[in-house]
Amino acid sequence: MLALQLLATGLVTGCALGVVAISFSLVYATTKIFHVAHAGIYTLGGYLAWSLVMSGIPMPVAVVISVGACAALGALIQSQLYARLERRRATHLVVLIASLGALAVIQNIIAAVYTPNILQFPLQWSSRMVSVGVVRMNYTQLLTIVISLIAYVGTMLFAHRTILGKRIRAVASNPMLADITRLQPQTVYVYVIAIASALVCLPGILVPLDLGLQPYNGVTPLLTATIAMIAGGVGSITGAFVLSVGIAVVQNLSLLVMPGEWSIGVTFFIFVIFMLFRPTGLFTAR
Amino acid sequence: MDFLFSYIVLAEIYVLLGLSTNLLVGIVGIFSVSQAAVFGVGAYLVAHFTMATDPLSFIPSMVIAAVCCVALNILVTLPSLRVSGDYFVVTSFGIQLLATAVFTNWTAGTGGANGLPGIPPPDLFGLPIETTPQYAWLCTGAVVLGCLGFFLIMRAPFGRLLRAIREDETAVAAAGKNVLRAKVSAAALAGAFAGTAGGLYAAFLSFIDPSSFDLDASILLLTMVVVGGARTLAGSIIGPFLLLALPQLLTLVDIPTTIAAAARQLIYGLLLIMFMLFRPQGLAGERL
Amino acid sequence: MAALAACLVACTSANAETIKFGGILPLTGPGALIGTAEMRGVQFAVDQANAKGGIHGQQVEVQFEDNQAKPDQSVLSFNKLTDLTHVSVIFTGYSGPTLAMAPLATRKKVLLVNAGAQADALAKASPYLINTLPTIGGEIEVLSKYLTGDGKKKAAIMFENDAAGMSGRDDYLRFFPEAGGTILAQEATQFGQTDFRPALLKLADAKPDVMLVAITAGLLQMAQEYKQLDLKFTVAGTTFFADPATIADPSSSGFVHTQLHIDAPPDLAAQFKSKYGADMEFFAKQYYNAAQIVLATLDKVLEDKQPVTGETMHDTLLKIGKFQGLIPLEFKTNTASVPLDINVMRDGKDVLLKEMKLQ
Repeated sequence: MLALQLLATGLVTGCALGVVAISFSLVYATTKIFHVAHAGIYTLGGYLAWSLVMSGIPMPVAVVISVGACAALGALIQSQLYARLERRRATHLVVLIASLGALAVIQNIIAAVYTPNILQFPLQWSSRMVSVGVVRMNYTQLLTIVISLIAYVGTMLFAHRTILGKRIRAVASNPMLADITRLQPQTVYVYVIAIASALVCLPGILVPLDLGLQPYNGVTPLLTATIAMIAGGVGSITGAFVLSVGIAVVQNLSLLVMPGEWSIGVTFFIFVIFMLFRPTGLFTAR
Repeated sequence: MDFLFSYIVLAEIYVLLGLSTNLLVGIVGIFSVSQAAVFGVGAYLVAHFTMATDPLSFIPSMVIAAVCCVALNILVTLPSLRVSGDYFVVTSFGIQLLATAVFTNWTAGTGGANGLPGIPPPDLFGLPIETTPQYAWLCTGAVVLGCLGFFLIMRAPFGRLLRAIREDETAVAAAGKNVLRAKVSAAALAGAFAGTAGGLYAAFLSFIDPSSFDLDASILLLTMVVVGGARTLAGSIIGPFLLLALPQLLTLVDIPTTIAAAARQLIYGLLLIMFMLFRPQGLAGERL
Repeated sequence: MAALAACLVACTSANAETIKFGGILPLTGPGALIGTAEMRGVQFAVDQANAKGGIHGQQVEVQFEDNQAKPDQSVLSFNKLTDLTHVSVIFTGYSGPTLAMAPLATRKKVLLVNAGAQADALAKASPYLINTLPTIGGEIEVLSKYLTGDGKKKAAIMFENDAAGMSGRDDYLRFFPEAGGTILAQEATQFGQTDFRPALLKLADAKPDVMLVAITAGLLQMAQEYKQLDLKFTVAGTTFFADPATIADPSSSGFVHTQLHIDAPPDLAAQFKSKYGADMEFFAKQYYNAAQIVLATLDKVLEDKQPVTGETMHDTLLKIGKFQGLIPLEFKTNTASVPLDINVMRDGKDVLLKEMKLQ
């Protein structure tokens, strides 16, 4: 049945998007920086994994190495770029533009090194099909759902149960107080971006595993994820994840009633309306 | 000679866009990556009216386009006045992507992805403007008017009000000034500049398609303002001329053609980072 | 005055030692894969001619400009090549930019040679625009007749939302019903998009016999997703289908398409491969062929002791009419007539099903 199949595809895309939204939300809620370069890290994760797999390294190892590399890059951007700008008391606009610059640099290094062609992971198992009821999906799609849900639960546990998680939430809610009480916000920022970059590497690998690698494929998911984050309420991890799935499902199901080329336009249109009438989001964090 | 003149024409069109972006982003502080969308609307409107079954001549079409873009820009920046800066960023991205979707898919109105070919060359109240040098004169005239306007506004009380809003919005509001009206007026003016630039662009190229008005174009505009210098007239002029020359300068350096465009975008990105780190005021601007 | 005129004639005809042509192609951005192949095709042909001593003793050089498949960059590059380098011939590709440059070519009398773009508007865009391959309408007319003749009368269209794709879609809408079929549904995709599942599912829902395709990128992904979704209708397209990666992949078994007949002799293909490290695929062959046509024209122009201008190249090319490059072709109008095949993809190879001559 068409609707069920579209629903399934929407769930898969939504889960991957959810992890992007959660990770971006972590950064934004804590540092208040609109870290668009996040899209670059997402893209880079996929390419790194691809290179490792192409040179013979088994997939799980490649994933671990890529995740580590992304975390390192994220930490680098924070400590070398954002922290410096913070020291010069740069305005949000300046940091945003710098982040845009970083994004352009990452994407174009990838384009120069890997060429702009669509690349594929050479893994046979990834496209093997499975029937779930009347719906057909491939292994990668199933894996995406599973890993995304694990990432969501993991992040929730981390934020609420671990010491670092609580420290992050403390800094997020009141940076000035955090500074005074020696919670060392700047160090926390580095941890946060590192963790977020590690997280976003996962969909960065899973989505291209299914659909192929392209250098400039990070911007649209990031924007959609940001919409989910804001509509879900900044600071709410659950809000970001749920709204991501919701948006993806709506986008896919909308194909039943309208031509495909309009579905992304509709998403942004709804968002703009949201901004005009309910800017604080649905699941506003306490 | 045509090559030099066509470079000047395009640079001047981007100067008008630079003034527009500078007004919004530099002076009022509204982060906008959707100026290319307004640019596009201006272009499509002029194309539509000069090619209609009952065509209007160039200047009336431009006026209509400018007015529509004024209204459009007010509409587009309204959300920014209700939400804080960062939320508006996403809205602005969204508006740009929405505009690109409309340009590409509304085939009846915009020709869709095929674009609109055959836009007639402009005429100045009957005097036809056909060759590139003549066109360069037309654009120079427009730019001079624009710059003059910008300069006078910045000198006037309105300009001082805008700068004050940038420094401390709450203080200005407390002093009883209508902040909302000032911001909206600035946005309106920015719209007029962008719409005019769009009309000139359409008539010059005689062919427009959505690829000239996408997110990349908006980012290029932002880069021009940042590098040239925010909030100043000189910055709005230097930025476009420099950045349009950059691809041509790059062809002098021996980069393998397979990576040349990626290299160019890379350089844009590096420029943004370097300037933000070491010279946020750009070459000839004030601190952003 | 006479001395000045004589000098001018001598200067333009001799053009020092080298004759310069131009090429405005997407060398970066999403079109780079094809644009680079096109550039190599031209360069390869020119290098070979130069190695043999040039044309009438004169070396040929091609200056390439990157337009990123954008119209405004194309206009700038066009003006640069004509004003600064005074080229008489410019190679171009991609429909949008070519359409943007067409009026300039007419105005400045520069010969524009297209060997890759197929939008229908190109046929009449400018008297100075030469297309060495038929527009997509020509291919689709043939394809439609073949399909309906084969009993596939109900179709759904998948097209890319850009100049080439929309041109193809409009042609399918026109020619398929003319050939006796019906169009049940259509769905657009974006250039660079790789998730075709929603579009495939929606089209499958209309229960067509055949899906008519007009996309230029992401074909391999589409084929794989088609296979994964276990869809049963035939997939048909034009020469756009001739992508080596797609042909090699088992998912594309059964895909039918028209194929402009162009072949390179094996030793030529081998030389190309050793020089550029890539196979000489469709676009490289097309542009090699086009370069050969231009060089043959140049040969005649120089033989007739005429100055090498856009006008003389244009007139001479049309006067010669019939060319034998990699394939025989004939210019009855600005657009060449070429032999056409129907191919099917099977077991990793593109196999000839039927040979058809263009109407």
